[in-house]
Amino acid sequence: MTHEATQITSPPKPSEMLLHLGPQHPLQPGPFLLDLKIEGETIREAELKIGYIHKGMEKVFEDRTYIQILPLTDRICYLASNSNNDVYCRGMEELLGIEPTDRAKYLRVLTNELCRIQSHLLGIGEYTTDVGFLTMFIYMVRERESVVSLLEAITGSRLNHNYARFGGVAQDLPPGYKEMALKSLGKLKELIKSHDDMMSSDSIYLKRTKGVGTLTAKEAGELGVAGPPLRAAGVNYDLRRLEPYLVYDELDFNVITQTDGDVFSRVKVRLLEILESIYIIEQCLDQMPSGPYKQDVTPYITRPEPGEVYSRIEDPRGEMGMYIISDGSDKPYRFRIRGPAFATAQALPPLLIGTYVADVAAIAASMDSCTSEVDR
Amino acid sequence: MGTFVELYDGIMELLVVLFSTWALAPWVRGVLGGLVIGAVFGGALVMVYLERKFLGDIQSRIGPNRVGGRFGVLQLIADAIKLFTKEDIIPAKADKWLFIGAPIVALTSGFLMVAVIPFDLLVINGKEYAVAVSRMDISILYLEAVSGLAIFAIFMAGWGSGSKYSLLAGFRNVAKMIGYEVPLGISIISVAVMAHSLDIVEIVQAQSTLWYIIAQPLGFVVFFIALLADVGRIPFDQTEAEEELVAGWATEYSGMRWGLAFFAEYLHAVVGAFIITLIFLGGWNGLPLIGNLNIPGIFWLIAKTIMVIMLFIWVRGALPRYRIDQVIDIGWKVLIPLALLNLLWSTIIGLIWA
Amino acid sequence: MGDEQAAIQVIDKTIMIELSDKFPDVVSDVDVPSPNRAIARIDPSKVHEIMQFLLDKGFDHLSCISGVDYPPDKMEVVYHVTSYSGPLVITLKASVPRDDPNIDSLCDIYWNANWYERETYELYGIKFNDCPYLKVLLLVEEMEGEWPLRKDYAGYPNPT
Repeated sequence: MTHEATQITSPPKPSEMLLHLGPQHPLQPGPFLLDLKIEGETIREAELKIGYIHKGMEKVFEDRTYIQILPLTDRICYLASNSNNDVYCRGMEELLGIEPTDRAKYLRVLTNELCRIQSHLLGIGEYTTDVGFLTMFIYMVRERESVVSLLEAITGSRLNHNYARFGGVAQDLPPGYKEMALKSLGKLKELIKSHDDMMSSDSIYLKRTKGVGTLTAKEAGELGVAGPPLRAAGVNYDLRRLEPYLVYDELDFNVITQTDGDVFSRVKVRLLEILESIYIIEQCLDQMPSGPYKQDVTPYITRPEPGEVYSRIEDPRGEMGMYIISDGSDKPYRFRIRGPAFATAQALPPLLIGTYVADVAAIAASMDSCTSEVDR
Repeated sequence: MGTFVELYDGIMELLVVLFSTWALAPWVRGVLGGLVIGAVFGGALVMVYLERKFLGDIQSRIGPNRVGGRFGVLQLIADAIKLFTKEDIIPAKADKWLFIGAPIVALTSGFLMVAVIPFDLLVINGKEYAVAVSRMDISILYLEAVSGLAIFAIFMAGWGSGSKYSLLAGFRNVAKMIGYEVPLGISIISVAVMAHSLDIVEIVQAQSTLWYIIAQPLGFVVFFIALLADVGRIPFDQTEAEEELVAGWATEYSGMRWGLAFFAEYLHAVVGAFIITLIFLGGWNGLPLIGNLNIPGIFWLIAKTIMVIMLFIWVRGALPRYRIDQVIDIGWKVLIPLALLNLLWSTIIGLIWA
Repeated sequence: MGDEQAAIQVIDKTIMIELSDKFPDVVSDVDVPSPNRAIARIDPSKVHEIMQFLLDKGFDHLSCISGVDYPPDKMEVVYHVTSYSGPLVITLKASVPRDDPNIDSLCDIYWNANWYERETYELYGIKFNDCPYLKVLLLVEEMEGEWPLRKDYAGYPNPT
């Protein structure tokens, strides 16, 4: 992999032309510009330009108190808002020297996994429309609705949940939640299996996805991607297993890997991870201890000791990290967001070279990037 | 039912009287042409509505349900009003005449195809009258030729729009159609060989005992797939692949100009469904063994056509899209050999039968 | 599972001792605040060699590069290096002078350093020597030279 692969280095020859996909393009919700130099339908060079919705979050956070930052972490990426809350709260807990209550830990794992399921469902859905499979998209969105309702029952909102708190969570489970969740997830499990079956047996779908956009384990490592694209290449890298946070060390689950590293495997990893997440949630609901779900005194005005922390988490899309430097005041001195989609987006142009224009949509969507998080 | 049949026969008799007395009068042909075009136009509208509802059912959603009662029957009118009142934009970089001409050519090609489609065959006083705007000896050949015009329309739009998405779509369409007109033509020839005629009316009459879908199932499959590609529906809608080329050749069109282009596509699909019904599904003949149950042939024809249209929609709901190189692969490497094999088969059967 | 365990054992805190032994004058203030985190300060002139050493030792994943501004006289470039086979995250901090911040690029060691370096450059004005295509990534091109994440930034256009 050379860096030439990420740039358009020369003007097009007479047999070539530049094709601009974006910033307004149905390829993905969220603006970015993908410049392609194509010869016929074959892509010779590709360049990704980002920053169309740059929100300057890192600067904004330096001017907000710690508790004000909490709801803003939702807005990094709405599909991963629980994970983002959680990674921020875990960082702050380390800085403040507090520990979440046992029940809160389970509740956070529960919401994180629900969040992973709904993110994967929408990710797969967007991807299937990109190969022209509109029906599957609508099925996926339909399935996602039930998961979002489960999240809504806990957190009170369908989007931007803002659930984790320093040392606890915002509220406890509603009564009768376990039965409701088990019923809904049991149904989801059957549906996911049926969709998986439908996708792995459709010959057109297989033709479009097998061997397309292949990323070997070595290349994936070099490109610095994490999450499903990396696991699809066969690398067993999952922070839930590698650096067990919250209560993941007490739960039984498999890290899903595939071997081919192509578009098909990436989607397969997501589908199987949904089933694995359902399994984790079922365990959470079984094992969840009773007790307080938050600290007796929630620290609203927090002045952590000067210090720094790098906390990270297995986001639906990969490794989400936050690097917080405190100088002893009530605002962070430096707040760095290391998003998984940023790394994935960077790895996109090299993957596209040599493929067809029609594959751009399939490959880009199978990487499941999120413009909101890339631009932060 | 009885009165209905009588009424129908009465209307047809009137038509036949018109035919026989005024057969050469241009205005009779004109009126009939207007009626048929109107009917097929209506058919295309019905197809759009059916597609929305039936596809909605497949995708577990409701489809149009606001305008015109809970079944949304007036949604199309609302859409038409919207399209007519929208601003008509011609891009600055467009080749103006090509840009304007493309939807017209597309629609014209659709209407020209309608001209030779027979809807029924009436036998009155021992003479046969086909209910068609024009009856030709070589109507099936003419259909094939005229449907080819639509390719020009898409390429005109692709080049004339001055947009790279449109251009790529135009190229894709030409590449695709070069591959798919051949199996389409060969399947038609197979049918003609078996029926010993190029006239659609005679082809339909030859199927009164045995439908050609049973006599040459391979031919039907090849023709169906090639027709899907011809009318540009999923899995062969590479020319307007939304996630790749925005809206393909129609990207730069707006308002009613887009509406016409969109409509031309549905017109082609409806005419395609008619052709399949006529040359493979027995046209206005009733079911094999059962006969036509005293129901006028035109109803049989329309019922079968609606079934074929439903099949189109079902395919759209169930399949993803091929990539363009795979489409061309299938055309040249699979469909053409199969079509030739079918030609051989139908020639042998046709000889024995004769 | 056996291989995995073995790999995890290689990626542990002993690397910090090795690192200080290998670069005695360059690496300082080594701190291990928690089992999975290690922090050290490094000399900016030797960052290339240190990263190459870490890569050879199995730290094959550059998590992040961040800039931190400490007015009035220094800035820090913070590297988070980790591995695909172990949980240890090494935080390496290199101080650069604020009036002429520059440091060697890591693009030839870690491929994905490219965008992180471009981001740090446009937000802090830290120049990464030999970084291919060092230009603005997220900001509009007119904002090159504004360095908006510096502490004394007062809005666009920046009066300072």
